[in-house]
Amino acid sequence: MKLFRYFLTSLSAILLLGALSACSQPKAATSKRVTITFWHGMTGDHQQALNKMIQDFNQSQSTYKVVGSSEGNFGNVQQKITAAAKSQTLPTMAQTTYTNVPDYVRGNFIVPLNAYVDPAKLNQVVPSLRQSSQYQGKTYAWPFSKSARILFYNRDLLKKNGFRVPRTWGELQRESVQAKAKGLTGLALDQSFTAELNNLAMQAGTPLMTPHPQLTNPRMVAATHVLTDMLKQKTATTAGTDGFGNVKFFKGKTLFYSGSSAALGIMTASTPKGLHWRTAVLPSYRGKSATSIAGNDLVLFKSASQAQRKGAAAFMQFLLTNRETVKWAKATGYLPLTKTALRSRGYRQYLVQNPTAKAAVKSLPIGFQDKTFSGYSTQLNAVNQTVSQLSTLEVTPEKGLAQLQAQLKRTQK
Amino acid sequence: MINSRPTLKSTLRAALYLAPLLIITLMFTVWPLINALLMSSYTKYNYYTNQVRALGWANFAYLWHDPTFHLAVRNTLILVLLVMPITVALSLLIALGLNRSERLAGLLRSIYFLPFVTSTVAIGLVWNWIFRLDGGLLNAILEKFGLHAIDWLNDPRYALLVLSMVCIWQGLGVNIILFLAGLNHLDQRYAQVATLDGATAWQRFTNVTWPLLLPMTVLIVINTSVTNFKVFDQVYALFHGSAGPGNADLTMMYYLYQKSYVENQVTIAAASGLILFLFVGSLTLLTYGIYRRLGRWSR
Repeated sequence: MKLFRYFLTSLSAILLLGALSACSQPKAATSKRVTITFWHGMTGDHQQALNKMIQDFNQSQSTYKVVGSSEGNFGNVQQKITAAAKSQTLPTMAQTTYTNVPDYVRGNFIVPLNAYVDPAKLNQVVPSLRQSSQYQGKTYAWPFSKSARILFYNRDLLKKNGFRVPRTWGELQRESVQAKAKGLTGLALDQSFTAELNNLAMQAGTPLMTPHPQLTNPRMVAATHVLTDMLKQKTATTAGTDGFGNVKFFKGKTLFYSGSSAALGIMTASTPKGLHWRTAVLPSYRGKSATSIAGNDLVLFKSASQAQRKGAAAFMQFLLTNRETVKWAKATGYLPLTKTALRSRGYRQYLVQNPTAKAAVKSLPIGFQDKTFSGYSTQLNAVNQTVSQLSTLEVTPEKGLAQLQAQLKRTQK
Repeated sequence: MINSRPTLKSTLRAALYLAPLLIITLMFTVWPLINALLMSSYTKYNYYTNQVRALGWANFAYLWHDPTFHLAVRNTLILVLLVMPITVALSLLIALGLNRSERLAGLLRSIYFLPFVTSTVAIGLVWNWIFRLDGGLLNAILEKFGLHAIDWLNDPRYALLVLSMVCIWQGLGVNIILFLAGLNHLDQRYAQVATLDGATAWQRFTNVTWPLLLPMTVLIVINTSVTNFKVFDQVYALFHGSAGPGNADLTMMYYLYQKSYVENQVTIAAASGLILFLFVGSLTLLTYGIYRRLGRWSR
């Protein structure tokens, strides 16, 4: 009984102290600020860089407070958004792939940014990075973490064997055949070569990711043959369960690796001792250059209050300032988003010190982003499955693309 | 007290005791099942706003004509038909062996049970290393015997076999424990009588042990089949988040995942889930029917 009384007295004391300390908190600082909740998929160094930018924004003004929350990866963010949209527990804003925008619009839980952002700010963004922001004439997606497909090459191997950086896919194929004769592999690709096929299709004038792609067009078939023929001749390999082609590339017996510029940081950190690599713009095909730009954007959700929407828009615009976008690019390997940032002294100095980052910047004028449309995810998954079959040479491009065309037609019905 | 007649009060009290589990089951099992059943019939449906504008059979028609779904069904059936009998036979064999040797039984039981309690992702990583083309354990052994290395994980001819091996290995633990439980509950007097009658070890097994183990075997067959119909995480972990080379390991669960989480086609995912449910249900009924028949026959 005595013990129980002692326990009750202690508990009351703790509660009283807690209540008193809560009352003594300075109200002004916390209650005035509008909280902007922000879900993203950044981890590790990228998350640290983003947290620093959030901190900078929070310190730059006293009206809004952005609270970032890393969900682990982009897939998790996507699944969480889907679940939260259903349970009506969405944050103020999130990082997402712009190709999800049609689904979000259909779900009626996303809001256009037009009323909240200065259009002049968006116009500062490099045109090829800006393409993704519009859907049905409105700005829904704000460019954020963008990367380009580039060609990594083993500088020492090229030098030793008298090869040069290929400017066309034809040159790359020829050098790969010569490399094979010397016991080397020409090109390493990721587990899926959808990105490369997407590039070649665009260069061939038959875009892959459109609502009605011309998959059986002879130019599309020929573009697909560029990759499958190399796989058949064993002058190119896919990464398989390694996931990414850099694993094979880093073994030192592969001339080229086609990968994302977002991997520059990882590539630098995991380069084996004695291996020297550089980067170049992807080769042209049929006289045309084109490089796919991938990445994520920021979106604003309808459930946010007017004040939160304004705060989120202020934060998005803050991220586009020269200082922030250059800082972001330097820390992560993503592209700086604005024309002025690209021309800025700070970034130019960075490029001098980090020449491997130049290829992605050089790719910007020829960069393209897939057109967003309803059913994009379904089409992309179907394309990925066909690419998986093509990479194992189970089907020919003629058969695989014809099957894909029929499948897409059935899905669109 | 137990035999007393049920009254309204006692029934309410019983319901109260059962309520926590009932509520959880209704919320997380029965309701999602009903919801999935309904969703499979929605042909014009907005998942986010929950608006249903049309009902029909279009989702099932889609699956009927979808070659990818056919591939998923084919792969799943091959997997179940390959893995289930091998797992059951191996489990029984190992359980019989463990039942005989008492000395090492405890340790071996733990070793065999480990796969069941280990994370599938960890298992996937280890098997990935075993099956690798370069530096993989299996290929190192093959090369010792002068055989060519095989790209187990990236060659569509072997990828389903690899998945089957992992599933067999992972399923052994729990089945061995179940068989051991069944063997320990057998009345030894039947075997003793058979021995007195001059029955050989094989005759004792086929005429005494096996018929008495039949109920447990049916349970294991159903359990193993259901588990292998639902294979997903092993595929995901083994093949770096893909359905294997050239979709060689695309299972029905993987198809459902892709439709739901990758393509946002929840109604088609629900329809494929319903078909999976029908497959599992039919197999369970079939196994139970065979068991009843065998039971009658052995009497």
